[in-house]
Amino acid sequence: MIRVLAIAGLAVLVASPSFAASSVCSSAPASKFQPKTKLESMLKGAGMSVKLIKTEKGCYEVYAVDKAGKKVNVAYNAETLKKVANPEAGEQ
Amino acid sequence: MAATDMAPNGGNPVRVWDPFVRIFHWGLAASFLVAYLTRHGGGTLHYWAGGAAAALILLRVIWGILGTRYARFSQFVRSPLTIIGYLRAIIVGNEARYVGHNPAGGAMIVALMLAMLATATTGYLQTTDQFFGDEGMQKLHDLLGNGLLLLVLGHLAGVAVASLRHRENLVGSMITGRKRPPAPGDVP
Repeated sequence: MIRVLAIAGLAVLVASPSFAASSVCSSAPASKFQPKTKLESMLKGAGMSVKLIKTEKGCYEVYAVDKAGKKVNVAYNAETLKKVANPEAGEQ
Repeated sequence: MAATDMAPNGGNPVRVWDPFVRIFHWGLAASFLVAYLTRHGGGTLHYWAGGAAAALILLRVIWGILGTRYARFSQFVRSPLTIIGYLRAIIVGNEARYVGHNPAGGAMIVALMLAMLATATTGYLQTTDQFFGDEGMQKLHDLLGNGLLLLVLGHLAGVAVASLRHRENLVGSMITGRKRPPAPGDVP
């Protein structure tokens, strides 16, 4: 039991920095952000139907449906509009 | 058998919580814990934790009608007046010991089940075409989830108070299903 807990604890410790590394939301002030409308037209251009774009710290979290009808939940750096690996990157 | 299950008067512990009630209880507790820990992002684990919680509650509702004596709603769901009266008695310090759920505990069970079901439903709805990316539904789900967390904390506090007041281990009883037999003045 103790061994299992120890391994689980280690796994969390090892995993946390890698999650942090993938969280590349912008740390710039909101005035430096690209407008949401730009991201929206970019997504529409890719054939996505955008349901919602939330601003979460330096990220835009997108809820959309792609061309194939698949629900997509992704985040973009609000300053560069580059895709972020973890859709919840701005929430942590 | 743990010493806490033994009656001071030497009576044998009585069976109170049947196996379904106990599996339901710990299954729901685990579902809540997993769902709470995975609350950011609504991933697969979060989805299935909510699904498990909803399924457990629906089975519990059936068991609350058809189940064993202490599992039935008719045994532990009481009127608001009785509940308020019992809460007052707790404050004064002269509340009766119940072998089954006491009136406050019964009210908490109903509140927990309703809040959990509402949280699971609003979570599920966000996976449907109609409510995917619906900010209102997301906010409602968050609100219900936080309310549920408060209820769970209240439930833990209630179990602690009742265990201390009546000198019994209620957590242990939910594992073994057994409780100390009723003494004079207890509600059997």
